[in-house]
Amino acid sequence: MKILKFTFALLLCATFSSCTSDDDNAEDLTGQTGDIVIKFDNGVGDQDFIFGTSYNRSNGESFKLETLKYIVSNVRFKDNQGNTFMYPVDDNIFIVNETDGNNAGEILVTLKNVDAANYTEVTFGIGVDQARFALGADGQGDFLAEAQDEGMMWTWASGYKFIRLDGTYTSNTVTDEGLNLHMGSVGTTLDNYKETTLNFPNEVLVREGKTPEIHIKADLMMAFEGITSVNFADGYDQVHVDAVETPVIAANVASMFTVHHVHNN
Amino acid sequence: MNKVILILVILALCACSKGSQEDAYVPVPVEVEIPSNFPNIVYNLENNQITEAGFELGKKLFYEGRLSANDAISCGFCHEQAFAFTHHEHTVSHGLNGGVGKRNTQPIQNLAYQSEFMWDGAATHLDLQPIIPITAEVEMGETLSNVMSKLRADTYYQNQFGKVFEDGEINSENMLKALSQFMIMMVSSNSKYDKYVRNEDNIGLTSTELDGLKTFKNKCSSCHASDLFTDQSYRNTGLPVNPKLNDKGRYAIFENTGDLYKFKVPSLRNIEKTNPYMHDGRFLTLEAVLNFYDSGIVENGGDVDTVFKKEDGSLGITLSEYEKESLIAFLKTLTDNAFLNDERFSEF
Repeated sequence: MKILKFTFALLLCATFSSCTSDDDNAEDLTGQTGDIVIKFDNGVGDQDFIFGTSYNRSNGESFKLETLKYIVSNVRFKDNQGNTFMYPVDDNIFIVNETDGNNAGEILVTLKNVDAANYTEVTFGIGVDQARFALGADGQGDFLAEAQDEGMMWTWASGYKFIRLDGTYTSNTVTDEGLNLHMGSVGTTLDNYKETTLNFPNEVLVREGKTPEIHIKADLMMAFEGITSVNFADGYDQVHVDAVETPVIAANVASMFTVHHVHNN
Repeated sequence: MNKVILILVILALCACSKGSQEDAYVPVPVEVEIPSNFPNIVYNLENNQITEAGFELGKKLFYEGRLSANDAISCGFCHEQAFAFTHHEHTVSHGLNGGVGKRNTQPIQNLAYQSEFMWDGAATHLDLQPIIPITAEVEMGETLSNVMSKLRADTYYQNQFGKVFEDGEINSENMLKALSQFMIMMVSSNSKYDKYVRNEDNIGLTSTELDGLKTFKNKCSSCHASDLFTDQSYRNTGLPVNPKLNDKGRYAIFENTGDLYKFKVPSLRNIEKTNPYMHDGRFLTLEAVLNFYDSGIVENGGDVDTVFKKEDGSLGITLSEYEKESLIAFLKTLTDNAFLNDERFSEF
């Protein structure tokens, strides 16, 4: 009888200790970090983006691009406890350039030493916010030189191009006219920095030695039609510093992004 | 008389049991289905008779990670059954060490009826096709001899190869033959469309689907011919060249300039499940494909197929919105759920 009771007690102990709850507060992640790879994948509607291919818009215009770049900054993640992890500011600015894409057209941004947690959403900005810009040339670190090399810096006015789309457009009245969309803030007088928050379809699990991947799609059609639909023929073929045009494009561009899927490795 | 029969039976039973070392495997032949609406089988079955054990071995190899350098990438990694053995939603596939390929994974279905394989026809016999992905650096990145060493160390393969092949050898020839046995059995011929044309189960097509079939016969079936939905030829369909990949298609095989940007006409069976589309997966939906045929074809530097040249000299296949809609409805009737769910081909 004693043996039976003892065995029963052991069994109970085993049962209780073997049941782990899903609550990750029980899992001690303090001090752990892992990496995250974000894959930016540009497309146009239901097609993959390819340089030199003509894409038709619903307004009858079509466009082809030879350059496609944008700046992403202030990337931060929110976890399932409501905490936010902001990637270190100095390193937290990236130029996503379509020519850097792999064969599948994915541009990889690797974030190292992210706090271990279960993340449910990501927020990032398109472009450079006023605070970073106010740090001046010295405060930009290597990024200033990188942006100059990539042609993401205006030459005649200080400031960055947040997105650069160069190519041609065709409408029912013109063929292969220049299309140049260089939207950014204009010094300190016009702030076109916008942010977007995207939910993950399933939690991104960052742990020591693990590198989850977040596949983000950018639908370029939305740059022209996302929030406000614009016609190239109305002057939106050349967007640089205009106080009316640039905010429209800024809002449209912020609406381009969605999380397609997440791989936890 | 009864006693004689009894003795004979006992003798027969004794003769059949060989003891614990090896079961005397009696090869159980398997017949390959030849649907009435299909052409003849091209694969020479006499050189590789399909048996139950051979099929099982082929299936095990198909899902065997050790065919790859990191022991983790099997054929099934890119060839997912639920998507007619394509890589779900991947434009191009990724393999060993994050390597990314240049082409869209093709379905594995009805291969017994085809003579050449891969988008550019690089493999001219089904037995030889697996060599390409097994040895490609961005796919499985292995060598055949390494694969053989790994298989030889495994008792399952020691036994199974012995059962299937007379010489019992674990070598490339036998491995590739086993894989072919598995792939040959993958016949997809029981879609809604098939039942309709064979008058089975009282299946009819809706009027939209019938309109789509009619448009298909007029505008698509010169290349997507027969109930295999491919004439197995190589065509340049006027796709703008992706400068990043600069994939020259069949030109790579013979360096014949006439072959520039030509790719094999794919079968359209199960097309609803095999997105994205084209040799590089650039079109994510069937709508995008049909919009391309209607108004996206360009002179791309190769010989765009004359089938796309309209009377006024422009390029394309004119399709009205309704024609596109009904074509898509028709194409969805080519989905064969029996095939997609057939447990004989499943890993689990």
